[in-house]
Amino acid sequence: MPGFDFSNYNRNAALHARGVPLPKATSTGTTIVGCIFDGGVVIAADTRATSGPIVADKNCEKLHYISSNIWCAGAGTAADTEFTTALISSQLELHSLSTGRKPRVVTCMTLLKQHLFKYQGHIGAYLVVAGVDPTGTHLFTVHAHGSTDKLPYVTMGSGSLAAMSVFETQWTPKLTEADAVELCSQAIQAGIFNDLGSGSNVDVAVITKEKTVLKRGYVKPNERGQKLKSYIFPKGTTAVLNEKIIRKEDLGNYVSVHELSTTEDDAGDKMEVDA
Amino acid sequence: MTSIGTGYDLANSIFSPDGRNFQVEYAVKAVENGGTSIGIRCKDGVVLAVEKVVASKLLKQGANKRIATVDRHLGVVYSGMVPDGRHFVDRSRDEALAWRDTFKTPIPTADLASRMGGYMQAYTLYQSVRPFGITAIVGGFDSELELPVDGEVGSGPAVGAGGKTAGKKHGGPFLYMIEPSGLYWGYYGAAAGKGRQVAKAELEKLDLGGAGELSLEQAVKEAARIIYLSHDDVKDKKFELEMSWISGADGPTKGKHQEVPKALREEAEKEAERLAKKAVEGDDDDDDDDDSDDDKKDGDKMEE
Amino acid sequence: MEFGNSGSLSEDGIHLDMDRLKKGEVNLGTSIMAVTFKDGVILGADSRTTTGAYIANRVTDKLTRVHDTIWCCRSGSAADTQAVADIVQYQLGMFAMTNGKPPTTQTAAAIFQEICYANKDRLSAGLIIAGWDERHGGQVYSIPLGGSLHKQTYAIGGSGSTYIYGYCDTHWQEGMEEKEAVEFVKEALKEAIKWDGSSGGVIRMVVLTAKGADRHLYLPDTDYKVRHST
Repeated sequence: MPGFDFSNYNRNAALHARGVPLPKATSTGTTIVGCIFDGGVVIAADTRATSGPIVADKNCEKLHYISSNIWCAGAGTAADTEFTTALISSQLELHSLSTGRKPRVVTCMTLLKQHLFKYQGHIGAYLVVAGVDPTGTHLFTVHAHGSTDKLPYVTMGSGSLAAMSVFETQWTPKLTEADAVELCSQAIQAGIFNDLGSGSNVDVAVITKEKTVLKRGYVKPNERGQKLKSYIFPKGTTAVLNEKIIRKEDLGNYVSVHELSTTEDDAGDKMEVDA
Repeated sequence: MTSIGTGYDLANSIFSPDGRNFQVEYAVKAVENGGTSIGIRCKDGVVLAVEKVVASKLLKQGANKRIATVDRHLGVVYSGMVPDGRHFVDRSRDEALAWRDTFKTPIPTADLASRMGGYMQAYTLYQSVRPFGITAIVGGFDSELELPVDGEVGSGPAVGAGGKTAGKKHGGPFLYMIEPSGLYWGYYGAAAGKGRQVAKAELEKLDLGGAGELSLEQAVKEAARIIYLSHDDVKDKKFELEMSWISGADGPTKGKHQEVPKALREEAEKEAERLAKKAVEGDDDDDDDDDSDDDKKDGDKMEE
Repeated sequence: MEFGNSGSLSEDGIHLDMDRLKKGEVNLGTSIMAVTFKDGVILGADSRTTTGAYIANRVTDKLTRVHDTIWCCRSGSAADTQAVADIVQYQLGMFAMTNGKPPTTQTAAAIFQEICYANKDRLSAGLIIAGWDERHGGQVYSIPLGGSLHKQTYAIGGSGSTYIYGYCDTHWQEGMEEKEAVEFVKEALKEAIKWDGSSGGVIRMVVLTAKGADRHLYLPDTDYKVRHST
């Protein structure tokens, strides 16, 4: 029968009534940071994705492309950060094409905040927006409910406290590009090592007036090393205590067996294919 | 109107080759046949007056008003097609209310004139509509006082705010006239309809403008006189004089648009009738004895 | 959102519900105020933004421009108040262009109130509108949680304001000089910051007069004594 199948709705309602929780979306329990330097801006992120207590991905990408001169670091619900940034990236490119100007960071930030505000926090995207445009270098945070902040250095996600402690102790007003990259990297590593929700590697993006450089896996402090021993068990490690052989013709004694025909005519409903 | 029959006069949104919109010009003709309406802006208020042509003896006297109130402080009078005028008034009320809804404050007269000018202009653009067959005169008094925001709780603080620019006047009386094309200007004296030529000539003689000294009560009397003077007893049908006025908060109407009280109107009407009669008799005389203009500084003879 | 039983009655009988923030929402646990003085009006605010117990921004700018000489102080949800201020800024910009003259503080207050009242069930926004215009001079309007509009000579708001009702009542004077008014705002906010855990950071001010808008910044590093450049 064509159309949607709603039969699982009743099953889900019944399960929910018995206290079965809804499946949890993959959340990027995360450390993301951003920092302005003389001539550009750096953003960085860890690469751990979690689903409850499980590490769902050991090397995911949390730095999202908006345009060549604007990038976003995302925390919160992985799907939401992914699709929200993709949507705004698309809108911004069309806007840029229609105005004939380079996209601006404030435009991106405004589109994001208005989109997120409209959804009243149900879209769980927490973002660090960074970029260089004809008006200068910009760095913002956008929260899921639609509020924004403009600061010289920012952190977000579950590891934001650890990362902020690095910024609050090391940050100085005049930084070189190398200083800023190192500071962001240290901030992310503070998250990786001190926050359970963050881990694995450090990704960094450096945006300057001239170009954007994405440093995927800038630091990999959690590489799996060589194991000292082999844990492959030799054949025969498990002892055989007894052995019983059941022949095919005797199988009917244990389970019911139906032989299936292999001819096309009576192979059940055929799939309709457009001519 | 040499181009009649060339097809360029059949619809709006088609220019004639020499750049005219005949539909608008025909609308102006419709106005020119309507009863005279005038507006006077003097130092302390605005007066609106109209020569209401009585189409039938069966109509109740003093009923079927032609001057409309659009908001507390705004009045409108018009010459031309009365149903068009009624719609103009309806729309003006909508605009005034919409302004109040968004800005929680009465609409300034200038802004109402602007909105309605735009509205009338839109009726000169499309095939599917015809222009308004009216010229409207909009009078209003924008408050000189500081008004509270509508919906503000309580009366606010007793003490005033600092930092005001001293010696600057705000608000006051305003008068606008809007034509079928959508064109509108601000005026000290405005006239439309059948007797506009006579009326304009008389209005020009009044002491209006920048430092004009004409008072509101005098303006009421002048308005009555001008309507009576512009009426041709021989050619025109009988008429009723309808007048309204708007003063500031310290004047007789306390900032509101109201009908001129019966006593004052009748007094003005009596004098106007006498002067008009005298003017007609004066015209009949070969040598003008100047009596008709005895209250004028310069007794210019009216010409047409 | 349902109306809860929590909250308290303020002095003018307005029911204030303090538990209206959604979970995890960025809050402006705040001290804000605006004061009329001889030449205009001054807005003042602390700079603390919190998410629960965490300070999300310690140098926030809660004084937001909606037109050249009309500004507002924001308290409550950061997202809500930013969204409302953005809408009003757009509307006032539109007003100035279509009417060829700047809007009055009253116009701004009316637009703010309409939004706050029409969406009272969805917003947690406590706003103070302050502005200077040629006709009315300096004016202060307060729009508390329900969306009512109150004209005041001075207004205080946010969680920190509860601690300074007495101070302000005692020390506010009509027709203060600019210097006196700045001192009054600063001292009041210093008290609010001292006693309110949700307020802190720097003190920001905006002075609105015929001359335009003038920003002040005072840092705790110098005990709020020195005016820093912004």
